[in-house]
Amino acid sequence: MPLWFIRGLRRGVVTTRYPARTEESARFLPTPPAFRPHVLTSQTADLLVAICPSGALRRGGDAGDGDVLRYDVGRCTACGRCAAAAPHAVTSSGVWELAATDRSVLIKKIPIGGES
Amino acid sequence: MTAPVTSEAEQLRNTIARQFGRSLHIRTLDTGSCAVCEQEIRLLAAPHYDLHRLGFFFTPAPRHADLLLVTGPMIRAFAVAARKTYDAMPGPKVVVATGACALGGVYPQDPFTHGAVDAVLPVDVWIPGCPPSPLALLHGLGVAVGRLAEKVRAVPFTPDDDSERTVVSG
Repeated sequence: MPLWFIRGLRRGVVTTRYPARTEESARFLPTPPAFRPHVLTSQTADLLVAICPSGALRRGGDAGDGDVLRYDVGRCTACGRCAAAAPHAVTSSGVWELAATDRSVLIKKIPIGGES
Repeated sequence: MTAPVTSEAEQLRNTIARQFGRSLHIRTLDTGSCAVCEQEIRLLAAPHYDLHRLGFFFTPAPRHADLLLVTGPMIRAFAVAARKTYDAMPGPKVVVATGACALGGVYPQDPFTHGAVDAVLPVDVWIPGCPPSPLALLHGLGVAVGRLAEKVRAVPFTPDDDSERTVVSG
């Protein structure tokens, strides 16, 4: 009989807490983009909206938001085309724990603050 | 006589939570995905991620499932089967939409697909990603059973080193 089986029986516990350890592999994951509002110009935002293949980026928010880039994290496939097209304004966010209990919290409004 | 009854009920509830609350059975449902989400879900049972250490198990029957892990854009040909699967599950039940397709990102609403899972099923937890990594899926399952807090609500997706950031709450 394998030793791990006897060890498991002796401990009596087969579950662990989460996270059991720091997840080292998480830094290799492709993560959704993050945007720098003060260098994001109106033209750049239009370009990003045009090249986004999954429609995650749209222009315009609700009334009173001003000039914003509407970013739907749920639709984003983390393909990296926006980061490749505008590396000065778009970086990788590094966030991978993205689960949400409300669809609307996944829709972020990025203010467009760059001088055009 | 109300107090002892309440305490007995509390005791019973705690016993049930201790015995069953840490175990959850998952039924996966592919509603037309490209199967990469399924690859990642399958990796959850691999030794590196080891889903079972957290008390989650996969089950082949919706009758035995507590959680429905739905992938794909919900093609219209599958909508009836998805509804039947949901109805066959005993309550309380949780529906988790997994991946960008299920969240409406990849396919539009057209004569072939509903475009998103929540057009047909009442979704409780959304897990973004294309595909969501096994780590993201583990976090999503933890959120679905109320063991982990959702983090994305507080993330503005503007970098931390951005000194002039002004964030409109979303």
